[in-house]
Amino acid sequence: MIKRTLCIVFLFAVASIAVAQTPTPSPSPAAQRPAAPHTNLKVGDKAPDFTLPSTAVGPDGRGLRFKLSDFKGKKNVVLAFYVLAFTGG
Amino acid sequence: MKAYQADIAKFETTDTQIFGLSVDSVPANKEFGAKNGITFPLLSDFKRTVVKDYGIFNEEQGFGNRATFVIDKDGIIQHIDEGNVAIDPASAEDTCNILSHKKTTP
Repeated sequence: MIKRTLCIVFLFAVASIAVAQTPTPSPSPAAQRPAAPHTNLKVGDKAPDFTLPSTAVGPDGRGLRFKLSDFKGKKNVVLAFYVLAFTGG
Repeated sequence: MKAYQADIAKFETTDTQIFGLSVDSVPANKEFGAKNGITFPLLSDFKRTVVKDYGIFNEEQGFGNRATFVIDKDGIIQHIDEGNVAIDPASAEDTCNILSHKKTTP
């Protein structure tokens, strides 16, 4: 009987420690994560220019670099930023 | 990216150049492009200057967030998609269609 009581006390102690160690739940899990950065650019703003190397290869076999402002007056440009590591789409 | 590739014909008819852009190296992007059958150029913003200029650099994780910008022939931003909505090219396509019917300022 004493053994049993001890056992229950012990279990209760373990349980209370577990409860104590559980971190208090935050209001929302999203609040803990750093907020995803949002662009400061708006529709109507001038697109920041850039020159970047690309996967495209020129006739000489060298990688092509693209400059955004080269398309001015010629073509619209769709710039799709993606994250390689987990691109599903 | 695959969704954009699937719709590339639609974009091409609207007088539009598509670029993919990530902070990965050119060789990494080449492999990615080959594996996914992507024919449009993938730009490599290895120094993370462009993702910063466009305000979508995630400091904590060291890469750019997913976003799509449509830029018209005058170099003006006409459409922005951020986050998961940027996976679907439909709204970017719509913008390009509108732009293609718009007169360019000389």
